[in-house]
Amino acid sequence: MNLDARRYVILAFILMVGIIYTSRLFYMQVVDDQWVLRAQEIAEKRWEISPPRGVLFDRTGKKIVSNRTYYNLMMVEADIVDLDTAKFAKLIGWTREEVRNRFKEIVRGEGTYYNKNTHKRTPNYQKIRAYPFMKELTLEEVARIAPHLDNFKGFHEEITSMRSYPYANGANIVGYLSEVSQEEIDEDRFYKPGNNIGKAGLERFYEKELRGRKGIRYIVTSAMNNAIESYADGKYDTSALQGPPLKLGVDILLQAYGEKLLKGKRGCIVAIEPLTGEILALVSSPSYDPNLMIGKRNISMYYPKLLMDPSTPLLPRPLASEYPPGSTFKLLNSLIALQEGVITPEFGAPCNKSVVGCHNHASAGNLADAIKHSCNPYYYAVMRRIVQQNRKKSVFADAEVGLNRWVDYMKSFGLGRKLETDITGLRPGLIPDVAFYDKWYGHHRWAFSTIRSISIGQGEVMITPLQMANIAAIIANKGWYYTPHFVKSIGSKGPLPEYLKKHYAKIDTKHYDVIIEGMRRVVYEPGGTGRRALLKDIVICGKTGTVQNPHGEDHSTFLAFAPMDKPKIAIAVFIENAKGGGGLWAAPTASLMIEKYLQRKITEKEREKTIIDAVFSYMR
Amino acid sequence: MRKGDSLVAHMDWPLFVSYIVMLIIGMATVYSVAYNEEHPNIYEYSEKYGKQLVWLGISLFLGLIVFLIDSDIYRKFSVPIYVFTLFLLVIVLFTPKINGARAWLGIGTMGVQPAEFAKIGTALLLARFISTVNVKQQNIQTVLIANAIILMPMVLILLQPDAGTFVVFTSFLFVMYREGITYDPLILKLINRIPGIRFKETWVGGHFIPILFVVIILSVITLLMSNEVLEFGFLPNVKVPGFYSVVATLFLISLIFLIFLRVVSARRDRGRATLVVILGFSMAAGLSSVVNYGFQGLRAHQKDRIELFLGMKEDPNGKDYNRNRAMAAVGSGGFLGKGYREASVSSVRSNHVPESETDFIFCPFAEEWGFAGTFILVALYMFMLVRIIIIAERQRAVFNRVYAYTVAMILFYHFAINIGMNIGFAPVIGIPLPFFSYGGSSMMSFSVMMFILLKLDSQRRDVLQ
Repeated sequence: MNLDARRYVILAFILMVGIIYTSRLFYMQVVDDQWVLRAQEIAEKRWEISPPRGVLFDRTGKKIVSNRTYYNLMMVEADIVDLDTAKFAKLIGWTREEVRNRFKEIVRGEGTYYNKNTHKRTPNYQKIRAYPFMKELTLEEVARIAPHLDNFKGFHEEITSMRSYPYANGANIVGYLSEVSQEEIDEDRFYKPGNNIGKAGLERFYEKELRGRKGIRYIVTSAMNNAIESYADGKYDTSALQGPPLKLGVDILLQAYGEKLLKGKRGCIVAIEPLTGEILALVSSPSYDPNLMIGKRNISMYYPKLLMDPSTPLLPRPLASEYPPGSTFKLLNSLIALQEGVITPEFGAPCNKSVVGCHNHASAGNLADAIKHSCNPYYYAVMRRIVQQNRKKSVFADAEVGLNRWVDYMKSFGLGRKLETDITGLRPGLIPDVAFYDKWYGHHRWAFSTIRSISIGQGEVMITPLQMANIAAIIANKGWYYTPHFVKSIGSKGPLPEYLKKHYAKIDTKHYDVIIEGMRRVVYEPGGTGRRALLKDIVICGKTGTVQNPHGEDHSTFLAFAPMDKPKIAIAVFIENAKGGGGLWAAPTASLMIEKYLQRKITEKEREKTIIDAVFSYMR
Repeated sequence: MRKGDSLVAHMDWPLFVSYIVMLIIGMATVYSVAYNEEHPNIYEYSEKYGKQLVWLGISLFLGLIVFLIDSDIYRKFSVPIYVFTLFLLVIVLFTPKINGARAWLGIGTMGVQPAEFAKIGTALLLARFISTVNVKQQNIQTVLIANAIILMPMVLILLQPDAGTFVVFTSFLFVMYREGITYDPLILKLINRIPGIRFKETWVGGHFIPILFVVIILSVITLLMSNEVLEFGFLPNVKVPGFYSVVATLFLISLIFLIFLRVVSARRDRGRATLVVILGFSMAAGLSSVVNYGFQGLRAHQKDRIELFLGMKEDPNGKDYNRNRAMAAVGSGGFLGKGYREASVSSVRSNHVPESETDFIFCPFAEEWGFAGTFILVALYMFMLVRIIIIAERQRAVFNRVYAYTVAMILFYHFAINIGMNIGFAPVIGIPLPFFSYGGSSMMSFSVMMFILLKLDSQRRDVLQ
C-alpha cells in the first residue's frame, strides 16, 4: 500500500474545502444581494421623527392654535416584575378588568406576521418593546401617576405633542385632528398608523403645510432594539422640520365677540376685510369648544355627542348652509339693472302691493329710496325689466335671454359656485339658470312671472353667508374682490397665489355710488329698514333682509360695510328663525361687530345686552 | 541542536510569518469588534482587546520556552503530558457549570479550558504511539490502541459537554489514515469470516475515513443548497437551483485536480489519476443527486426535522438565530467590506451576532473587509495548512510527521467548521477560529502547538531515522 500518496488525498481534501468556501464567500458577498437586505433588516432602523405641527396666529399675532405637551404611559412587558394589578388599576383609575383587557388589546393591536416558509403566524408584539399603555395624559394626570411608577417596574412616561386652543373660539374655522384612517394611510405614505391628520377646517385644508417634514434617522440598532449609533455617521439622515406657522386674517377677539353675540341663536356672522379678502371672523352658532376634540380619548367621548346634537354644532354654517338671501339680494338686482341700462338711478315705481306684498312705506321715487325702504313691488318692476328686455318676440324666449344675462352677472359676484376659500366644507349655493327652469317647468314654459320671486331673493336662489359677506366686500370695493381666505401668510411666504388675484364683478364702478348711498339711507334716514345698526362715530352702509322660509319664523339677515368712505370691514349676519325682520336682530348684531372691530369698544351697551341676552325658543 | 546554531536556525520562516500575520489580523479584529469608545487604548486591560493582548504575550512567551527546550523532550514525555491533560479533563468535571458546560479551570478571573490542551497531549501521544509500531504489519491491536488514545479524551470532553472540541478530535482519524492505521483490519476480520473470501486488504477499509467525511460533507452541503436558488446580479433571469451549483462546483474541482494531478504525477500514473478523478466526480455527483432527490422525496415532517437540524429554516428567533445573523453579517460585507470598525451587524455592541468576538469572529472580519478580506484569509489558511503538510512530509522521524499532521488537521477542522458555520455550510457548534477568536486557552494551545511543530522541524536533521 502506497501510504505516501495519501498526502494527496489529504491535500485534496483541504484544498477542496478551501475552494468551496471561497466560491461560497464570493457568491454570498459579491453576487447575492439578499444578505445585504437581511443585514439592513437586522441592524439598520429607520426612525421617523414627527415634528410638532405648525401653529396658527391670528391677525394681531395671538397664538390661537398651539401645541401642548402630553404624556403617554409606556409599558415594556419584559421589564414588568410582579405587577400588582389591583394597585396599578387603582393608581390609574381603572378597574382590574380594564387593565387586563388593555394588555390583550395592545397585543391584538400589533397584529400578526405570517411566515411563508413555516406557514405559521407569529404575533408582531414584542415583549422587549415599549407600547403606550395609556395615551395622551395631561400634565396633571401624569403628575399624579408618575411618582408612583417606581413601584411598577416596566412602566414609564413618554412625551408627546398635541393641539391646544388657548381661545376656545373658531372651532369651525380651525377644525380638529384625529387619527388617520386606513384609506388615508394607503393614499399617502407620509402617515403611519397612530399619526394624526387634520379632519376639518384649516387643519385639513393646510394639512400638507402644517404637518411639516418628518425627520428620518438611520441608526444601527442592537439586538435589544436600542440605538447604538447613527448609520454612516448620519450621512443619510434628514432633520424633522416643523410646519410653517400660519398667520390668519382672523381677529380672534372679534371672532370670540361674534360667538358671544350669537349665543342662544342659530346663525352666522362673516366679516371680511374688503381690501384684502381676508376673513376677519367667521362665526357659526352654535359651535363647540375645540379643546373637546383633542386626542383620541376626548374625541371618542365628545365627537358622537356633537354629531348627534340636533343644533348641529359641527356644521360650519357660514360655509355650508345655503339660505335664500332675501332682500339683501335687491342690491345685486339694482346693480345689474343699472349695468343693463334698463333703469336709471332716478327710476321710480309705486309700491303697488297687488302683485307682491310689501310693508307700509312711501313709494320710492328713486333707486336709493327703494333700497332704503326695501320695496318689493319696485324690485318686481326692476327684475321684470332685466328679464324681459323685449329682445325676442316670444315672451318665453325673451325671458331666456334676459335670465341668461342675469345669471352671468350673478356668477361674476361669486354666486352659484363654490368660492375658492381655503377651507373644506364649502357649498355652492344656487343661482337658477335657464337649464334649471327648463328642467323645472319645461323648455319655453316659463317667463318672468313664473320666476318673479328671485327679484326679492326668495324662491330658488340660495346663497351662503360667506358669499353674502363677499357681496358686501364687492360693493365696498365698488366692483372687485379677492377670494375670501383665512390665511394671509404661510410662514413668511404670503398667502396662496390664488388669493392675490383680483376678481371683477361685471358691473361698472360708476353704478355703485347710488347703491352705497341707498345702503347709507337704510341705516341713517328715517324710514330705513336698518335703523338699529346706527352708530354715531362710524358710517355704516347696510341692507336688511327678512327671509321667508318653510322652517318657521323668518330669518333675519343684514349685509353691511363700514366706514362708508374707506371700508375696512364688510359683514354679513344671518340669524335663523328670528322673530322680526332683518332690522331687528341682524342689523344691530352687525353694528356691534363693526364697532368692536373698528373701535375696540362698545358704546351701544343696551343694544349689546339685548342681543347677547336673547335666547331663541328653539335653543332652549 | 548543533553547536553554534542560533535559536531560530533552521526554523521554517514561511510558517512562522504566516502565524504572526494571523495573530496580527486576529488581534486587529478583536480590537475592532470589541472596541469601546470610553477605553480606546488597545492596552486597556478592562476591555477584551487588552486581555487578548495579554494572552497573546503569554502565548509568545510560552512559544519562547518551547523553543528553548530540546525537541526530544516532547517525544520522551508524551505519556506524562497525555496523562496530565487527561487528569485535567477529569478535574474539570468537578467544577461548577459555566454556560451549561464544565469546561473551565479557573485561576482567579483567568480561566483555561483543559480540552484545548488535551489536543496537544493527544497529538503527542498518538505521534509517539504510531512512531513505535510497524504500520506495514498493522493489526487489530494497533487500531484499537490508537483509537483508545483518541477516545479517552473525547469521552471526557463529551461529559463536559463540549460538542465542538469533541468533533475536532475526529481530525486524528485523518492522521491515522495518512499513517495507514485504518479500520481495514477490523473490516477484514469481519469479511474474511465469509467462507471463500481471503482479502489481504480492502480499498474501502483503507480509505474509510476520507470517504466517510467526503460523504458527510457533501451530503450536508447538498442538503443546505437544495432549497437555495442562486441568482446573479450581472446575469438577470438566470436562476440556478442549488443542487446544480453543487454539481457544477464538483465538476470545477475535479477539473482543477485533474490538471493538477497530470502535472505532478509521474507519466505512468497519469492514466490512473485521470480515472480516479473521473470516478471520484461520478461518485460524488451521484451521491449528491441521491441526497438531493431523496431529500425532495421525503415527507414534509421529515424534511422539517432535517431542515431544523441543519438550521435551514427561516426562524429568526429560534434555533437558526445565530447562523442567520452571522450569514447576514458575512454576506453584507460586499466586495471591499464596510471598512475597519464599521461592522454594523456583528459588532459586540450591537449584539445581533452573539459571540461575535469568539466563535463568530469571522463575521466582523468578513463584514469589515468583504470578499477581498475573506479571500485573503482563506488563502492564508490554505497556505499555512499546505505548508504544514510540506513540513510534515519532509520529516525523517515518524513522530515529527505524525505530530505535524495532527497540527494541520486540527487547524483545518477549526477553520472548516468555524467558517462553515458563518457561511451556512456547517451546523453551529462552538469552536474558536485559530489565532482570531478572543480567549486565552485557544490562543495558548494553538501557539504552543505551532511552536512545538516549529521546534521539531528546526531540529529535524538531528534525528536519525
